[in-house]
Order: sequence, then C-alpha cells, then structure tokens
Amino acid sequence: MTNEALKGHLDLLLLGILTDGPAHGYAIIESLRQRSSGLFDLPEGTIYPALHRLENQGLLGSNWSEDSARRKKTYHLTPKGQQVLAKRQEEWKKFSKAINATVGI
Amino acid sequence: MKENRIQSYLQKLESHLWLHGLADKETLAEIESHLLESVEANLQRGLSNDDAEIKALERFGSVKIVASTFEKERKDVMQSILLAAAVLAGLFSAYVDSRPHWDDTGLLVGGLILISGLIALLGHRKPWLIALAVGIWIPLHDIYLSHDLRMLLVLLFPLVGAYGGWLVRLGIRKTLHPA
Repeated sequence: MTNEALKGHLDLLLLGILTDGPAHGYAIIESLRQRSSGLFDLPEGTIYPALHRLENQGLLGSNWSEDSARRKKTYHLTPKGQQVLAKRQEEWKKFSKAINATVGI
Repeated sequence: MKENRIQSYLQKLESHLWLHGLADKETLAEIESHLLESVEANLQRGLSNDDAEIKALERFGSVKIVASTFEKERKDVMQSILLAAAVLAGLFSAYVDSRPHWDDTGLLVGGLILISGLIALLGHRKPWLIALAVGIWIPLHDIYLSHDLRMLLVLLFPLVGAYGGWLVRLGIRKTLHPA
C-alpha cells in the first residue's frame, strides 16, 4: 500500500532530497529511506529509471565523479527542476491539507 | 565471488534491457557502482561476504522488476523514429500496390517481410506493432475498395518479418552475451 502510494509522488520526493545538494543514486535512496524512517522502501533499482527520466526532462543534471574507490554519477537540481519542485511543493501542501481536513486529522 | 555474483546480475540485467532496446554502458556502470557500494555498506554492518551480496541484490530488486521499470519510464525517441519509419514504409508499399500497372506481388511481399524484419532487428521493442504499422495499409486500401476482409491475411507477411527480425536480434544477443 505504502509503495504503491509512493510511486505517484516519487518525483517530488527525489527532487526534494536533492535540495540538500548534489548526491549520487545510492545516497539519494538511503536518504529516502532514512527520512521516511524506513517507510519508503522501494526496490532500489526502480529509483534509477525515475532519476533518468527526470534528467531527460531537464529537471536534474548529472556529472560523473571519481571518489577513492569508483566512478559515481552525481545528480543535482537544475533551475528548471527547482521551479518544478516549488510548484509541486505548493500543490502537495494544498492536497495534504485537504486530505487532512477531510479525514479529520 | 562477490565480483561474480554482482557481474552475473549485471549481465542478466543488460540482457533484459537489451531486449527492450534500453541497454547502455552508462546505466550499467551506475548500477554496478550502486551495488558495490551497497555490498560495502552491508559488510560494514557486519554481514558476511555472501550475505552482503545477497542483501544488496535483494534490496536492488529482481532483474525483471528493474528492467520493466526502465521500460515503463523511458519514452525512447528511437522507438518513435522506428515506428514512424514503419508507417512511412507501409504507406509507400500501399501506394505502390495501388498503382494500376503494378503487378509484382512477390516483390511486394518480400518488401513487407524485409522492411518489418529490418525495423525489428534495429531494436523496436514491439514486433507486432511494427508488423501492423508496415502491413495494415494495403489491406485497408483493398478492403475500402472491395470490402473483402480476407485481405487482412496480408498482415501475416510483416508479422513473419517482424518476429523474424526480433528473433535474429535475440540470437545475436545470446551469442554476444551468453547467460
């Protein structure tokens, strides 16, 4: 149930995580898990197609960086991605407020 | 051993992605980097080598799930180009077939098979769609003129071609990357 609901909001979550700064896929997925206290626990491999789609849409940029052990692809928010994130955050605020008001939270 | 288990997973994933026309070196390098980092993290948590690898692969998801997610997420421009080429080739074939002095059915059938096979071989993920895009125009035109639904049997030729091309691609793939 949680994972199915999560899929509809994955773009918002991924963009939101990258507001903290550039990160590679593994770190993004760990952050997603930690910030949700383990509740958002999709198969890790299903996050990459979403990251690639956001990159193709111009919402994320990427660079390959070399750390001590291996090459890593690091993602960052583009200006367009920041605009889309701000818009989606506003939409989410309204949506969650309406849901909360409806179910009495 | 770690290398083999991870590499085995990556080879299977590459094969699945290739079948959908989605394999690229950069994606596989990114996934390999992720898996190796995940194994390292598991080792630091105190898991044995084997458990660290198994856990990393479990968390990443099965090859089938990951490949199908890539397929759903990517709207590949190449797929649209190949489909457009199939439609154009099909329309051209119907135009040639409709000309009053055209009387070489063998050449036309060969052309339908060849074009469908070539487009499927080049990497379109849905052979049936290519067969339809190439082959539907001749029967549509003839059904419009003669109301004879048997003309739909013409679709069998591009179907043979498209699935033939797809099978050749599969064979090449298995030869290059045996499971």
